[in-house]
Amino acid sequence: MKSILKKELTLSASILSYLFILFGFMFFIPGYPILCGVFFVTLGIFQSFQNAREANDIVFSALLPVAKKDVVKGKYLFSCFIELCSILLMVIAALIRMTVLEDVVVYRNNAMMNANFFALGIALFLFGLFNLIFIGGFFKTAYKFGKPFVTHIIVTFVMIGIGEALHHIPGLEAVNAFGFAHFGLQFGLLALGAMAYIVLTVISYRCACRNFERIDL
Amino acid sequence: MSIVEIKNLKKEYPLFLLDNASFNLEAGRITGFAGRNGAGKTTTIKSMLNLIHRDSGEITCFGMPLNGHEAEIKRRIGYSTGTVSWYPRKKLKDIVAVTRSFYPNWDESAYGKYLKQFQLDESKTPLELSEGMKVKFNLLLALSHRAELLILDEPTSGLDPFSRDELLDIFMTLRDDGVAVFFSTHIISDLEKCADDIVYISGGRIKAAMTIHDFCSAHSLQNESLEQTILRLEKEKTV
Repeated sequence: MKSILKKELTLSASILSYLFILFGFMFFIPGYPILCGVFFVTLGIFQSFQNAREANDIVFSALLPVAKKDVVKGKYLFSCFIELCSILLMVIAALIRMTVLEDVVVYRNNAMMNANFFALGIALFLFGLFNLIFIGGFFKTAYKFGKPFVTHIIVTFVMIGIGEALHHIPGLEAVNAFGFAHFGLQFGLLALGAMAYIVLTVISYRCACRNFERIDL
Repeated sequence: MSIVEIKNLKKEYPLFLLDNASFNLEAGRITGFAGRNGAGKTTTIKSMLNLIHRDSGEITCFGMPLNGHEAEIKRRIGYSTGTVSWYPRKKLKDIVAVTRSFYPNWDESAYGKYLKQFQLDESKTPLELSEGMKVKFNLLLALSHRAELLILDEPTSGLDPFSRDELLDIFMTLRDDGVAVFFSTHIISDLEKCADDIVYISGGRIKAAMTIHDFCSAHSLQNESLEQTILRLEKEKTV
């Protein structure tokens, strides 16, 4: 497992995957749909898949002394690594906004989604959807990724739109809580997002292993 | 005992059928896999490496079925394919550094020896290599982890006559060390120089799997070379 991840990080990855982790700091931007940061991080991961395809990476990996499913595992480990690195930056940004920057006017007067536990939960959910739609879709052929990526774009922006709109619906204002207000609800939504991330990624990984076993390289 | 046993291997494509291919490979022998383009050589080799999903048939390597023992088997196999280049913009030393970590049996002295012999520059990228040098780099990876079986798909294609001769000499040295070498080619003179056995495939069917001597005894006319025999058989399709 360590070797396959090392291969992904050193040979298969595009430098953009690493650079785009920094989009996690978009959680600091006021008056902007902060969840777009998630999309840009997935765009960085997409670049690595493109890189890998051009470099015959899948066949190279399948020839290494690993089971075919370990090739799939490598891609998921790499993607989850990038996603969790960006989540770490989002957590840092959200915690700073929830504490020292809690009462800053520019954040208080923000019509867009606030950076809080709910936003982190949605970010995790979006990463889970990316793993399901894009990575799972890629491993149906281990070659074509246009359709899965376009599907991912559409689904992600619809979900970002829903996420941004929720707190404007009467009765749902608490999802946009500042500081540690509505902590129970906020933390519960974060836990739900984390659970969705795990479930969607595991489902996607299992389907990808099954599909990859069937295809011809 | 055979180190590879292939029984009734079948793979169907819309316009091609690999039909019940069966043959064995022995340790310490060089086996040439001969056949014209599109005969099924690469399909057979890819099946042996589990790169394609076979419709039916059994593949056993080192006494273990390929299914369920893939990683263990591949650790003992070296594979090289013609001129495919991996990671064209990465330095050779970076590709080697990663590859090395997958093989507990990686032989640094063998790596150094073949690196020197093939005159490869580790600081170059595959993009900067000629087609022949790409073949040599693939071979370098295959030869550096003490593989007991080398499966090589068209290893001599793109090589100049001197490098080809040098490579065939390496095959013979490896054979003397007990390594089984299985290589596909349509350059029959390569087989005549070094192969002990031949697996001849035509139209998706294994037409012969035997020693070169037996093959010539059974099919060659008087004073006919192996190349002439195979050319004639391809024209007649009567093996």
